[in-house]
Amino acid sequence: MNNIKILRAGLYTTVQDMRRIGYKRYGIPDSGPMDEYSHVLANWLVGKNYLSETLEINYYGPKIKFNFDTTIGLSGANFDTHLNDKKLEINKSVKIKSGDILDIGMCLDGGRIYLSFSAKMKLEKSFNSLSTYDKIKIGGINGKKLTKNDSIDFIKSKEVILRNIPESFKRKYQEVSTIRVIKGVNYNMINENSIKKVVKEFKVSSESDRMGIRIKGNKLKVLNQNSIESTIVSKGTIQLPPGGDPIILMSDSQSTGGYPILANVARVDISKVSQIKPESILKFKFISLEESESLINFEKRKFKSKLGIDLSS
Amino acid sequence: MTDKINIIPSGDSILIIRISDKVSSHQLNSIVDKISSANISEVEDILILKDHIGLFYNPYKTTYKKIKSKINSLLSDISISLRSNKKRNWKIPICYNSELALDIENISKTLKIDTKEFIKKHKESSYIVDMIGFLPGFLYLGGLNDSLILPRKKVPRKIIPKGSIGIAEKQTGIYNIESPGGWNIIGRTPLELFDKKSEPPLEIRQGDTITFYEVDINEFNRINNL
Repeated sequence: MNNIKILRAGLYTTVQDMRRIGYKRYGIPDSGPMDEYSHVLANWLVGKNYLSETLEINYYGPKIKFNFDTTIGLSGANFDTHLNDKKLEINKSVKIKSGDILDIGMCLDGGRIYLSFSAKMKLEKSFNSLSTYDKIKIGGINGKKLTKNDSIDFIKSKEVILRNIPESFKRKYQEVSTIRVIKGVNYNMINENSIKKVVKEFKVSSESDRMGIRIKGNKLKVLNQNSIESTIVSKGTIQLPPGGDPIILMSDSQSTGGYPILANVARVDISKVSQIKPESILKFKFISLEESESLINFEKRKFKSKLGIDLSS
Repeated sequence: MTDKINIIPSGDSILIIRISDKVSSHQLNSIVDKISSANISEVEDILILKDHIGLFYNPYKTTYKKIKSKINSLLSDISISLRSNKKRNWKIPICYNSELALDIENISKTLKIDTKEFIKKHKESSYIVDMIGFLPGFLYLGGLNDSLILPRKKVPRKIIPKGSIGIAEKQTGIYNIESPGGWNIIGRTPLELFDKKSEPPLEIRQGDTITFYEVDINEFNRINNL
């Protein structure tokens, strides 16, 4: 059987792809990788469509035994990673022989890394996708994070050309991250004092998960909390609950929300938010919708011209 | 009706569509049907909220201006006198037995109303599905009798069983999956309205109407075990 065996699951390792679209109307989030940018690059390393499934690995990774020959790719934050006890570099495709053991240890800088396989995972799809969403136990392995002794079967694929991710795509994960945001629909409801505070430094809270990343340090207040009506929210929406500490909604977020919407993270920076470690500093920089669209356009062209990936496909 | 349609962006991948006339969520449904049937590949999802529509688009495929003008021209030939013929009514069994209606006794104290009277008032109203969301399959229903309005619980429950029906502010909510939550639980339905193995997972749509009929605990158990 072509499979991998999980010798150690790590902190929170799940199967994610980018194919669950159109179910928010039933209250089901798209889920998918927190850091789509690294997910796309990991898939490129193994010659797969950018939407394909990877393992999303958080803070402390799994130890995996391979029972077949395949090619893997790793992209995202730096983790203390070894293949058969030899240090392994990320951001390049790696040939794997049956019997090899991949050990992804502690995270060294950001928060997440994505492991792709040239072979296809043989798992049951839910709503067109393999993405794990544990609230209703769908996707992945029985809808849950990986646990010790799990195994995943694969459908073998043909050989792939080994690749390296170009330097210009590699990200540095720093202690202070500046995140570009667009003013939200309720931005004009925050009080004057809060307008001054919103561009100051925030700290990422450890009470963050796949639903949302909480930030703290500057309590923000709205003028009239009660006049807010529920509206549509999504990954990247920054909500302001009554407590005053903003929440940046992420992959498993709900689709409607009743808290004021302070801002929306520019699409190209959402993946950066997902890599900010708890207790690290985050600063917002306000940009216009048009600026955000030109950043998207720039990213789209870069992926197309340098890697041959069409992000609009 | 383009002049009556107001589209604004929320971030770089959401449109909020409002109709300036007073329209029911029923009519919003017809607009959503119109957009859906046009099969615009940039559109990823559409949600109907109480008085507006939220549309998710893929910003790698289009821009705000382009998608806005596409939606505007699509809706330009829709007449505002939309009369939805897809109005559906759902009759949903509810058991108000105090074993399942975790908060009913407290509510009766707070509202100073007899439990029997509370049940009578709750089940005699007709409800409309204002919104779906917050949790998979969670239904927000408008139409609660004014005398039954009370705030959410101060301390949310860690676990609310699947099928629980609660009230908070002016709404009735149906928890179609087990979840934590802060609504005041007044009963439970034995029906599985949300099925993660079905496509679609939920048949009830925004704008549909719902009436409840009371079942006793035996009938609840019978339906539950079907």
